[in-house]
Amino acid sequence: MQRFRMHGWWRTAALCALGLLGTAALTLVAFRLRLGFGVVSFCYLLLLVVQSLSGDFLSSALVSFAAVGCLDYFFTDPLLSFEVMSPFDTLGLVSFLLTGLIITRLVTNVRARTESSRLQQEMLQQLYDLAQRLLALEPDVKTGEQFLEPFLGVFGIRAACLFDAANAEVHIAGSAGESLEKQTGEAFIHGKDYEISGKEFSARCILVSGRTVGAIGFEGLENAQLTAGPLAALVAAHLERRHSFVHASRAAAAAQTESYRTVILDALAHEFKTPLSTIMTAAGALREGGTLGSYHREMAETVESEAARLGRLTSRLIRTARLEREEVKPWMELIDLSSVIADTVDQYSRLSADRSIAVVKECETSEVMADPDLLRLAVSQLLDNACKYSTPGSTVILKISREQDQIAVRVLSDGNPIPSSERGKIFDRFYRGLEGRRLGPGSGLGLFVARKIVLALGGGLDLENPSGTASGTAFRLVLPVPENERDHVATAV
Amino acid sequence: MSVTTLPQPFSVLVVDDEPALRKTIRASLAASGYTVEEAGTGGEAVGAIQRRPFDLVLLDVNMPGMSGVEACRQIRAYAPRMGIIMVTVRDAEEDKVRALEAGADDYVTKPFRFRELIARLGAVLRRTRTDLGAEPGILRAGALKMDLEHHLLWKGSEQIRLSPKEFELLSFLMKSQGVPLTHVNLLRAVWGAEYGDELEYLRTYVRMLRKKIEDDPARPEYIQTEPWVGYRFRDPSDPDQAPRRHDDE
Repeated sequence: MQRFRMHGWWRTAALCALGLLGTAALTLVAFRLRLGFGVVSFCYLLLLVVQSLSGDFLSSALVSFAAVGCLDYFFTDPLLSFEVMSPFDTLGLVSFLLTGLIITRLVTNVRARTESSRLQQEMLQQLYDLAQRLLALEPDVKTGEQFLEPFLGVFGIRAACLFDAANAEVHIAGSAGESLEKQTGEAFIHGKDYEISGKEFSARCILVSGRTVGAIGFEGLENAQLTAGPLAALVAAHLERRHSFVHASRAAAAAQTESYRTVILDALAHEFKTPLSTIMTAAGALREGGTLGSYHREMAETVESEAARLGRLTSRLIRTARLEREEVKPWMELIDLSSVIADTVDQYSRLSADRSIAVVKECETSEVMADPDLLRLAVSQLLDNACKYSTPGSTVILKISREQDQIAVRVLSDGNPIPSSERGKIFDRFYRGLEGRRLGPGSGLGLFVARKIVLALGGGLDLENPSGTASGTAFRLVLPVPENERDHVATAV
Repeated sequence: MSVTTLPQPFSVLVVDDEPALRKTIRASLAASGYTVEEAGTGGEAVGAIQRRPFDLVLLDVNMPGMSGVEACRQIRAYAPRMGIIMVTVRDAEEDKVRALEAGADDYVTKPFRFRELIARLGAVLRRTRTDLGAEPGILRAGALKMDLEHHLLWKGSEQIRLSPKEFELLSFLMKSQGVPLTHVNLLRAVWGAEYGDELEYLRTYVRMLRKKIEDDPARPEYIQTEPWVGYRFRDPSDPDQAPRRHDDE
């Protein structure tokens, strides 16, 4: 539809000339043929309809006046004079003029409406194409030139400028005038849409869920009133899409790292176990072979027990990694809590030579329903922590006592008390306190997993406020006494 | 445990895809008086067993190609009375259950101590070789003595009263001394073929049995729990049936 691009006054003037020429030709022919007033006025009306189809009211109106003039001059008595003698002729001329103007008005209206809906359709099509091109961009395309490129050419845009408030960046595409960047910035600062028709400049704020996240300015945008809004909405949609993409890919990356970590840990730990079995079998067979002297037997025993220790550590790694990502599925049975603790302490005393561990049992029986393996893991995490963060040479105390319908285990150590700012976080996954980071490596999983286990066993694990002593840390683990054992234990105490 | 030279050497087939472990086990077992052969895959193991009989197969669960469990199934189908011990890794309870369901007698978990391996081998061999004890109709374990014919149980000189189901469960456990029994296996043997999921029955009965026969029901000596798998009856006076050590955390 480029042929109608010759808009404005030139078009009107051309149409006027064309209409007047047509009127003159018709007049000449009709005058020569000496046609009557009725026939001629009908012919003029036809000409008017044709003229009105151009959609230009001004030229059509001019042609209707010219036709009235011609009718009066050439076809009413006295001929070749503008005088009108008969009142019927006056009536005829007036009704011709009215009819002509009404027809002109109606036809131009219809024509203009058709034209505007065509334009709108065209605009929609262009917006649709643009939206498709923007959607085809990878969602991680930054809001740079590559993103602005599809806008150029649409609706005659010569240059576009985008201000992205998220990272305070300005992007310009096309050949922009001097003020484009400035005006776009102003639109954002004032939160107002701008329209400078003389310079064919318009700017719109970009709103994402009611928040202004930037502004976009266009140079040479046609029909800015109509098109700038939808264009800004497209930009907003892209920004929103990119934002959620970045967000989602960050989350996905984190989850993937996480799963890699556990998979690698798992694989490593499993890969360890076969060579460890080989070492343990070889050392065990050497020791039991009965041909070694006492010195060599001792060496073989050390190899075997250290390999076994490495095996325990890898097992613990696997279990911790698993429990951390999976739901804890306990295998509950009636167990004696103090014997589980004795086992674990026995193991730890061997590992941690420079800290002694004392078990204080303040109740007679300590039967609970729990999963012994998981409970052992939880207790060893607590012991591990207590040994790691207490002063070398000090004593870690485990106190088992009865508290109504539960058995409590307190792990008391003399390490620096946990600052109140950290108390709420120590059970968080991957959280490592300042002290912990200072004292050495760790996964930040120990307490998280320990609490996860104890909760799955129906108990609780928390950090007690140090009472009485100014320093030291006390973790309290509680497990419920099984229903049918409650009375029994209560009388026993 | 000191190494005792066996009067009649037992033959063991060691199946593992890891040559170093295979060779070490072979040398160690040979030094303990066993005759040992090796196989690197499940397929080789099945072939070796079809060529000559063994007293026991030590079979790794995780092997490329035919899985250990499948090899176990085929060996069991071919040699119903051969002892089979599977080598699994800890925290793979499903593997253990599948191994037992496929017909394995027992399992050891990697990494294992040599004496634990020897103990398991001994327990399984004794069971497959001798079945019940010398006295017909009498089962013994530690202080327990069970008269199968008259449905009686003594602990030392004291007679213990059991309900018929308790007796059935305990006798089934005692007949399989030293080896693990899965929950499904126990439920089907004692309650009937249509059982299998009624874990609570089993737990309740085991708890009642422990109260009757154990010195300290919270630290059982006879009926050991195999978490996620089932139970294992052990004779506390038999060093080969040493309780599972908890140092493999």
